[in-house]
Amino acid sequence: MKYDICIIGSGAGGSPIAYELSNIGYRVVVLEKGPYLKEEDFSKDEVAISRRDLYAPLLKDEQHVINQYEEDGTVTRYEGSEYSWSFWNGSMVGGSSNLMSGYFHRLKPNDFRLKSKYGEISGANIVDWPISYEDLEPYYTKVESIIGVSGDAKKHKFLEPRSTKNFPYQMLEVNDATKWFDSTCKELGYESFPTPRAILPYASLNRDGCAYSNFCGSYACATGAKGSARAALLQKCNAKIISDAFVYKLDSDEKRVTQAYYYDKDMKSHIVEAKIFVLAAQAIESSRLLLNSKNNYFPNGLANNNNQVGKNLIFSAGGNGEGRIRFENLTKEQQEALMQPGLFFNRSLQDEYEYKDGDRKIKGGTVDFLFEHANIINRAKKEIYDDNGSLIWGENLQKKMFKNITTSRVLKFEIFNDWLPTDYCNVIIDDKVKDKYGVNVGAINLYSHPQDVKVGEYLALRAKKILQHMGAEDIYVNISSAPPPNLVAGGCRFGDDPKISVLDANCKAHELDNLYVTDASFMPTGGSVPYTWSIYANSFRVSDVIKNILKS
Amino acid sequence: MTVIKSRRIFLKNSFLSSVLLITYSGELFGAITPINTIAQVHKDLFPDNKMAPNQNDINASYYLNSILNHSRITNDRKRFIRNGVKWLNEESTLKYRKMYTKLSSTQRQTILRDISKTNWGESWLDIIMTYLLEAMLGDPIYGGNRAESGWKWLKHTSGFPRPKKAFL
Repeated sequence: MKYDICIIGSGAGGSPIAYELSNIGYRVVVLEKGPYLKEEDFSKDEVAISRRDLYAPLLKDEQHVINQYEEDGTVTRYEGSEYSWSFWNGSMVGGSSNLMSGYFHRLKPNDFRLKSKYGEISGANIVDWPISYEDLEPYYTKVESIIGVSGDAKKHKFLEPRSTKNFPYQMLEVNDATKWFDSTCKELGYESFPTPRAILPYASLNRDGCAYSNFCGSYACATGAKGSARAALLQKCNAKIISDAFVYKLDSDEKRVTQAYYYDKDMKSHIVEAKIFVLAAQAIESSRLLLNSKNNYFPNGLANNNNQVGKNLIFSAGGNGEGRIRFENLTKEQQEALMQPGLFFNRSLQDEYEYKDGDRKIKGGTVDFLFEHANIINRAKKEIYDDNGSLIWGENLQKKMFKNITTSRVLKFEIFNDWLPTDYCNVIIDDKVKDKYGVNVGAINLYSHPQDVKVGEYLALRAKKILQHMGAEDIYVNISSAPPPNLVAGGCRFGDDPKISVLDANCKAHELDNLYVTDASFMPTGGSVPYTWSIYANSFRVSDVIKNILKS
Repeated sequence: MTVIKSRRIFLKNSFLSSVLLITYSGELFGAITPINTIAQVHKDLFPDNKMAPNQNDINASYYLNSILNHSRITNDRKRFIRNGVKWLNEESTLKYRKMYTKLSSTQRQTILRDISKTNWGESWLDIIMTYLLEAMLGDPIYGGNRAESGWKWLKHTSGFPRPKKAFL
């Protein structure tokens, strides 16, 4: 059978298209490498999920090679399995959207024109997007109602223009400690606002509401409240989902992709034919599949006759920090409020989404504040070192662990700023290492532009100041050029010029008539927010493009 | 069902129960069973007292034995745990002419402090402690954290739903 649409990857990039097109009667098939797990399969088993990486492939079976550019200009090669360096996220139906925390921010209008608004930066490949915020705005709004985004669109300096007044779902309930946070921000002259979340506060959209367990990040949601691509889209449509299907090659003629080849879990090969192919396997793997799909028409890999596939890979720059709020500085009532489990913190700052360095306008970013994750093994493990970094044990450890965990709470912040695209950060195919399927693995050439850390450190100053003013202790800030594996984009940037981009403005490959790439690969610059909302919105936008093509 | 399965794994696993030979000055000094040394280290790192869950409740040695069969724990890691037991006992014989478990409490603490200042020793203690914390604070379905004693001690509310079977 020939499908109308074959989608490779079932996460936030592919699922909106599966949902939109299958719901108006088109034959859609989704090929997903991981298993099909549903609400009844999920638990808060910290040992399995956080300690044994239940949702990621074994690195000895599937891995990446990392070629890291060092400061002295040399390159160090790391094989992921040897160094336990993993870039996998949520290998399962719905992809990593199952495991996201669901911090949802829109890009700002200026994120679409970084070059025009902030100018060139030496050593970085900054470009304007071929579309504008106004093009994407209706789809951000659509995501709010279909995926389910809760929040309160409080006015602030960089609040993006909205076509609706407020979010369709009210804010999730928050801990009383947010009041101290808000008043501290007010005293300091900062504008804090409620963090929008892709989490339903109550039952809606045929999904249950949030159970307030404080286990969002890294864990799949057992109530369906979190707006994963699986819960919000795939379980609500008729697209055929084939799980445990690893697509290892796409074939084509001169102008059209003709077939996708996949292995099932018994290593049996299958072929899928379709009129339109949509690739959304997450940024690194999408580039890898194209580069591994060579034929007579595309000897350098599919859609790669201009040698652009894999280029300009980006992550999210920034880092994190934390401070400990101790009982000693609180009233009894405040102590009780602070320790209430489950309730969210949900506060963000974007005052410095743009700032000035002398006369020059600099693109800044976002700071999200949140309580430390509820993972208790992780929290206890932090206690086995003293302030000098030496191991402690015995009664000293027991006392420290008990005191810190039962009479204080850690407030964290996460910083998101642009990871600038450069010539040195990209995806290639490693010529030595193969995965369990016998396919050469993707290699990540890794480099972070010095500006990335500089901006992160600038943003951290304000975050640190808030923690200090709140009376937090043991304040710790970690801004680095380490790539967060769950915040990856680029590799198939979209643009108007085929010489320097892989996709056109509609995310269709310049070189092929029926191939779309709709995960975060399309992003030429990343903005200074987590990517998922923009991936969803863009995929709904491309759904409309594909609808029109299939109609005609 | 899970308990029965875990017990089978426990009996099948010889990784920490097969004998290790300890040499001193090139001569055979004696033989030890790794799990016995590790059980003593558990008590020395996280002593039984009124303050915290005791070793019986934590059940760390049982937990370690079952978790080491896990496909997601690498052979390098398993070998390192076993080698660490050997090196710890070699340090003990070098300093006191006795196996670790035969040392006095003060002597054992001295050895632990000594090895914690070496690269291998710090890593080994970190790993042993990490699995002990997993046993104490993981879901009781894994055999540790008996009667949720670890969670109760740290006033931790578990997330729901809890796992229906152990991931081993």
